[in-house]
Amino acid sequence: MIVERNNVVTSGRADGRPIVFAHGFGCDQSMWRQVAPAFEDRHHVVTYDLTGMGGSDLAAYDMDRYADLEAHAADLNAILEELDLEDAVLVGHSIGATIALLAAEMAPNRVSQLALVSPTPCFLEDDGGDYHGGFRREDLEELVHFLDENHLGWSAQMAPTIAGQSAGEPAAEELTQSFCRTDPAIAQHFGRVTFFADRRAEFARVAQPVLILHCDQDALVPMRVAEWMRDRVPRNRLEVLNATGHCPHMTVPSDVVAAMRDFVGPG
Amino acid sequence: MAKDGAAERRNVLAELVEDAPCGIVVTDPDGRLQYVNETLSGWLGWRAMPGDRPQRLPDLMTMPGRLYYETHLAPMMRLQGFAREISCALVVEGGAKLPVLLSGVARRDEDGIPYRFDYTIFDARERHLYEEELRVARRQADELAAIVRSSPNAILRVERDGRITGWNGGAERMFGRRAEAALGELVQDLVRFEGRPDWFGRAVAACEEAEEHVFEASWQDGRDAEVTVAPIRERGPAGPSRCHSVILRDISLRKQAERHLQIAMGEMKHRVKNTLAVVAGIARQTLPPEARDHFSARLRALAMAQDALARPEHEGADLRDLLEFTAQEAGGADRLRVQGPPLMLSPRQATCFSMALHELVTNALKYGALSDPNGHVLVTYGLAGDADDGSVRFVWQERDGPVVTPPAHRGFGSKMIGAVVEAELRAEVRLEYPPEGGLCEIVFRPDAAGPP
Repeated sequence: MIVERNNVVTSGRADGRPIVFAHGFGCDQSMWRQVAPAFEDRHHVVTYDLTGMGGSDLAAYDMDRYADLEAHAADLNAILEELDLEDAVLVGHSIGATIALLAAEMAPNRVSQLALVSPTPCFLEDDGGDYHGGFRREDLEELVHFLDENHLGWSAQMAPTIAGQSAGEPAAEELTQSFCRTDPAIAQHFGRVTFFADRRAEFARVAQPVLILHCDQDALVPMRVAEWMRDRVPRNRLEVLNATGHCPHMTVPSDVVAAMRDFVGPG
Repeated sequence: MAKDGAAERRNVLAELVEDAPCGIVVTDPDGRLQYVNETLSGWLGWRAMPGDRPQRLPDLMTMPGRLYYETHLAPMMRLQGFAREISCALVVEGGAKLPVLLSGVARRDEDGIPYRFDYTIFDARERHLYEEELRVARRQADELAAIVRSSPNAILRVERDGRITGWNGGAERMFGRRAEAALGELVQDLVRFEGRPDWFGRAVAACEEAEEHVFEASWQDGRDAEVTVAPIRERGPAGPSRCHSVILRDISLRKQAERHLQIAMGEMKHRVKNTLAVVAGIARQTLPPEARDHFSARLRALAMAQDALARPEHEGADLRDLLEFTAQEAGGADRLRVQGPPLMLSPRQATCFSMALHELVTNALKYGALSDPNGHVLVTYGLAGDADDGSVRFVWQERDGPVVTPPAHRGFGSKMIGAVVEAELRAEVRLEYPPEGGLCEIVFRPDAAGPP
């Protein structure tokens, strides 16, 4: 059952226009907690954890299946179908933005708009091409190794309890580092899938209108990538936020909410 | 006095922070550096190399740390308000990167909005080294375990007294018994071989003398196994291991194929002999008496070579066996004296050599040393001293026979030796006729692996 498997949480107006939030690599749906509630007044708000992350069912993370982002997109699609959402806005952060974009291509009838927060079609430099993702393959290989060193208090014995508790529950938070904690093997695998993905082709043919929110001081996504998307994504609106880092939904949430409200309309 | 006390306390605290045994960093919520203590400045090589300083905490880190800061550390500081023991590496001006452990805590205002992040940074060089060793060891152990798990062979760990302490997936499949039902049982009870009730005890005893003990045996259901028993030589905290590994391979298919091959070879040998007998019969009826004997004797030599080849364990023949036949033809080991090591020849070389030996012995019996009751032949062979390519020098030397005169014309024998042996063996052949006895020298490279 996809709702339990991916720890799907709904709020807001059940009859409102659906808005579904997909988090990025690293944490879970709690990353949206300063943005998603702002849409509860008019929208049917849906947040969830990607398979293998947060409060999702870790046993469902089959490494062969999730070697492609399409598997995550299919999960998102399954949520749209299970909740029977139509005319939905998909919101994604970083790799979650790519997942939302792939899901939109799979379900053109259910998805009408995309709001992408700090998206990038590809983190890698394209040697010999005109695309500059910002990172060399060796850097990203090092990151995957690095994830092996940081288990964030993870141990297999604790896994079942974590899987069973909802991400926002405060009790466990202060005891251990519950946020951003993932099975190290899954973290490495998903890290590889995330950082070696190249979805320029899909970005260049997306059918729905796209809002691109880019931080001018993003350490992961260079300005040139934002310009590439502005020039190649068919129906896009690029908003450059005056913000540092890769997570404007956490550092300047009100700016993110304002830009999204303007893009989505009255709902 | 109280005022002085407060000032002194401030001094101590300031010194404590600046010279702490760890790095201390303060940033704003966006990661911009607001304070870096003296200890960390020293580690980073900043004191020695003044210049532009990094602006943000992630800029102090190597590339994976920067990515990790953006994807994990910064969100954790905001969402849960702290981070503990994050392993990363710092960039040192003009030096090797410095592995550190980083912990942080977020300071929030009354509304819960973070306004400052404080970090402590510990030098983790030593810890990093042994953790890396542990990770490598764990990976190797995981890989080995995967090999044992997925091997088609049954791999067991057995105590010296026969109790099973390891039973892999291969064993589960081979014996249809789960590991839980096998551990603690005696290996002789679960693995029974026909006629070998104490196979494990004997194997353990044999291992005292050798690295391992290997044998083939049959299960009671008729399947064949190859068994390898070896002591597990590792020294744990409690002293050397007393365990053995037992590896069981099902070789029923191989044994079956071997048996088929043996039957086929026997059949083939039988047919060749029959064919040669038929040819001999035809020769007896059609050839004149003089030619008949020659031909029959040559045919016999060929049949003997076939016999030598047909022994099941050989894919060729030993030159010594061929010479034994030749000695029989010569009248005994006294008349044909052989000095040389065992030397395997390919089937083709063996056939060719036996024909040549037959010609040599026939000629010696008729005209050479063996035509005189006192004469004999000395055969010596071995690695040619002046060649390092494995060449063998074979010398046939006749002694104490009638005085030799070079033949007026070349008979079949010398033609056969010259043409066939040179070509088939790729040999150098030298025939000489000194008065004291004929001499034949053949230098060739044995090729036991198969036809050249």
